[in-house]
Amino acid sequence: MMDKPLVSLEHARKSFGDVAVLKDISLSVRQGEVVAIIGPSGGGKSTLLRCLTLLETLDGGTLSYGDVCVARDDGAGAVYAGKAVQKEAKARFGLVFQNFNLFPHYSVIKNVTDAPIHVQKRDKEEVLAHARSLLAKMGLSGKEDMVPCELSGGQQQRVAIARALCLNPDVLYFDEPTSALDPELTQEVLKVIRDLAAEHMTMVIVTHEMSFARDVADRIVFMDGGMVVEQGVAADVIANPQHERTRAFLTRYEAN
Amino acid sequence: MMEILLSGLLLTAQIFVTTLIGALPLGVVVALCRMSKFKPLALLTRFYISVMRGTPLMLQLMALMFGPYYLFGLQMGQDWKYFACAIGFIVNYAAYFAEIYRSGIQSIPPGQYEAAAVLGYSRAQTFMKIVLPQVIKRILPAMGNEVITLVKDTSLAFVLGIMEMFSQAKALAASQVSMVPYLIAGAIYWVFNLVVEMVLTRIEKKLNYYHD
Repeated sequence: MMDKPLVSLEHARKSFGDVAVLKDISLSVRQGEVVAIIGPSGGGKSTLLRCLTLLETLDGGTLSYGDVCVARDDGAGAVYAGKAVQKEAKARFGLVFQNFNLFPHYSVIKNVTDAPIHVQKRDKEEVLAHARSLLAKMGLSGKEDMVPCELSGGQQQRVAIARALCLNPDVLYFDEPTSALDPELTQEVLKVIRDLAAEHMTMVIVTHEMSFARDVADRIVFMDGGMVVEQGVAADVIANPQHERTRAFLTRYEAN
Repeated sequence: MMEILLSGLLLTAQIFVTTLIGALPLGVVVALCRMSKFKPLALLTRFYISVMRGTPLMLQLMALMFGPYYLFGLQMGQDWKYFACAIGFIVNYAAYFAEIYRSGIQSIPPGQYEAAAVLGYSRAQTFMKIVLPQVIKRILPAMGNEVITLVKDTSLAFVLGIMEMFSQAKALAASQVSMVPYLIAGAIYWVFNLVVEMVLTRIEKKLNYYHD
């Protein structure tokens, strides 16, 4: 189990019309690993995450979650497994969106518990207890019965994290989780992610927060032009980038 | 006179309630067919909506009433007019409702579908639990318009010889050579709609616990 990656993506290709957004991307994530994906906008980071979470389908390549093979390549392109297998794979990951995407008509607690109860068919009392402890961990005790519009952006994003965690995923994806937040609220969300990393939650984080990526991630993947340009131990990639494009990107970032 | 008008009101209310019970759910189905990725179904539904909205309801009612005889020589019996009336109103109003539902469904941000997909909700669950409740809140004002129009449209049943309130008022006015039955019937329609407005306002308030 330890040496079998939780997520394994190989030779992923994806185009929108004539535009190749992912060109032969391979990425594997091991148990307990925190991977940060950085790179300029339009470099394919979000598309990569959308393919990993089955919101988009790959044109070519293979994708597996542990022993669940979601897509395999038959030479001509990616062939996806049936609905049942996809459902099994979906149970293994969670996704936190840039703009939260909470269900506005549901209370905080219902946002967190509805899918575990009605999708995973778990016991209601058990799920409620789980959800309450997750919300407490996110510093949201006492907000259970509020609706999302009554919360700040940072609080909403923490509800979204609790919602994803309540399904007990093996791996949690973050798509620029703080890009819609002001600096203060950004910090409270980053703190929650840091705490999760300390607990060895497996995470893949698309982010523009370079210092956060350096401090929290085990590995940084730099993507540009639909390719992985460079990857390695987080501190090394930030302090000592090997490729010209990585260097240029990081310099631009420091300048800002 | 009041007694006769109120007996007509009972039929008016029946047409009103029957139409809502039939057309509100049917409208959802029609809206989904209209948005179907299966092109023939979407086109057929578009055609249906176009005909329903593009021709007079009165004509549609007449066609339903006499179509079975003229087209197939069928004798439909005494009660057919009530069925023709119910079918005509439901099928006509479902077309209008469908377009309102469609506007609501298309206004729901894609992120809601994506969040539901990642959480593992089935398509049916996503629609029933996540999308439709939000759609209802968004379309309530537009729906209110249609529902109020429906109260008044029930008077079209007079062409089928159904003695709803307008038909009764017309008969009374003729026999008594008086405007009064029309005035009273008009007042009752208005009060009916005041009640409808009250109910709509109450639902709107109830759904105001969140905004998005």
